[in-house]
Amino acid sequence: MTPLNTFGAIMTQAIGLEEGLADYYKRAGNSDQAGACARRRQKMMRIRREAVLEITLEAIDGLDSDDYALDLEDVSEAGQARAASTAARFYREVAPGINVRQARRALERAAREHAGQ
Amino acid sequence: MVERLRNYIGGEWVEAGGRDWSPVHNPATCELLAECPESSAGDVDQAVQAAREAFGEWRRTPVLERAQFMHHFKNLVEDRFDDLAEVVVRENGKTLDEARGEVRRGIESIDFGIGVPFMMRNDGVEDISSGIDETTVRQPVGVFAAITPFNFPFMVPIWFLPTAITCGNTFILKPSPQTPLSMQLTCELIDELDMPEGVVNLVHGGVTSAQAIMEHPGIAGVSFVGSSPVAKIIYETCTRNGKRVQAQGGAKNYIAVLPDADMESSVKNVLGAAYGCAGQRCLAAAVAVGVGDAYDRLRDELVKQVAGLRVGYGLDETTQMGTVVSAQARERIVNMITEGEREGATISLDGRDLQVEGYEDGMFVGPTILEDVTPDMSVAREEIFGPVLSLMRADSYDEAVELINRSNYGNAASIFTSSGAHARDFKYRVNAGNIGVNIGVAAPSASFPFGGQKDSFFGDLHGQGLDSIDFFTDRKVVIERWFEG
Repeated sequence: MTPLNTFGAIMTQAIGLEEGLADYYKRAGNSDQAGACARRRQKMMRIRREAVLEITLEAIDGLDSDDYALDLEDVSEAGQARAASTAARFYREVAPGINVRQARRALERAAREHAGQ
Repeated sequence: MVERLRNYIGGEWVEAGGRDWSPVHNPATCELLAECPESSAGDVDQAVQAAREAFGEWRRTPVLERAQFMHHFKNLVEDRFDDLAEVVVRENGKTLDEARGEVRRGIESIDFGIGVPFMMRNDGVEDISSGIDETTVRQPVGVFAAITPFNFPFMVPIWFLPTAITCGNTFILKPSPQTPLSMQLTCELIDELDMPEGVVNLVHGGVTSAQAIMEHPGIAGVSFVGSSPVAKIIYETCTRNGKRVQAQGGAKNYIAVLPDADMESSVKNVLGAAYGCAGQRCLAAAVAVGVGDAYDRLRDELVKQVAGLRVGYGLDETTQMGTVVSAQARERIVNMITEGEREGATISLDGRDLQVEGYEDGMFVGPTILEDVTPDMSVAREEIFGPVLSLMRADSYDEAVELINRSNYGNAASIFTSSGAHARDFKYRVNAGNIGVNIGVAAPSASFPFGGQKDSFFGDLHGQGLDSIDFFTDRKVVIERWFEG
């Protein structure tokens, strides 16, 4: 169990998730999605650098990385749909815990993008 | 073998002349990170000579070109952002999020420095008298120095450096010997800028080098951030030696929570303000005053939420509160909690004996809440600079304001309320330099001066904002007439 209880923990989880998915979609031969994930990873890294101020320390409760584990072995269409759905749920559920507007918007958009796949 | 730090003087990395070294420890792991030299008065003099030699060429460098160096500096800091944040965690003990925030805040100050060409413009009047024009011109002053603390080893030096040098001055930095590594890395980045040698100089050390800076006749001004007793000494010594000085001292920041406050948001903010950076910041909330029936609600919710804070090594992303900076700091904080208890405070949450698994020797103090604190107790009056929040009761808003204004310090004060009238009155009457309304940490951004009153500030012009342009420049008045024919 790894709690997602800080801004950094959530953003690092997002970066790792996009990195894993980029590789997954590449293996699945879905270069469009692989590219989109790689770009989102860059964006999440930028937001982790830019959207945190030292005054922003608010504890985040009730989120855990285990709840968003991805099956990155099954590259079938159904497997890809499940991965996208888990990623969308991750972003949807973590976004409300972030009190920095720029970061929250990016997370909400990532949820929409994964859900739209 | 552990690294022995060197000074950066005149564009070269040079060994300090002093014989003493102090260890730089990671306060969570106790790993020895480096050894920091105690530079001598001779080392400071060498830095001043280098800075003075550089000043002539640097002040003639067009201001837009100087600002371009800050653009490049910002890019280098962005490129090494994660490395800088990690160094801050390793030498200071705060969390990664806090360190990232600190580096980001520093970058805001570089952005401000980039705007110096606009802010150095001045004014004038044609025909102030018949055929006579009168104008003012801002000029750089010479060599400035900054003596900076351990709690924000990247951000605080960068409050001063970009503005000072973009205004055309040259600069000597003496970081805290407890946390010198952030500035060591920063000066490595500055070295990559290929600015004229001597524009920025780094001198490591403690009291000896600070004393030499205060007394050196070649230094025009000193910026300082640290404790109030030292700030007072810095102010008195520097002014006696004919220098400009801005000396930001310690604090005992109060937060008033009124019965009409949004309690959920207030508690979150008070928690962040009290325990962020393990309470080691001059804007940390030290005392929360619950007015009327707000007290019980505030206490109950705070105790519940604070008890759940995850304390650990800052490099672990899940850590919500890190260490204090050193064993001495830990001992002082623990002793002050014990003294508060002896004076009659009730300890609702006790962080004195906290052990963190895997880091048993780390400098951890758990989040602590003291109840039933009264104004005469040491924990209500003296700066603790640790993760300790004192709770006080006030029967009325006026009594809360009276409690706040009784403090010798005047760095920051906040109010949580939904009443505009109370908020306005609070801004008007409370004697503190930074006021928060429904904000726990009233931290001014780079374009505003960092306020401070009473024993929290010694000087006239504050750090940051337009005050810093005044501090780092001199306004020359030119009155001119041209005869016809």
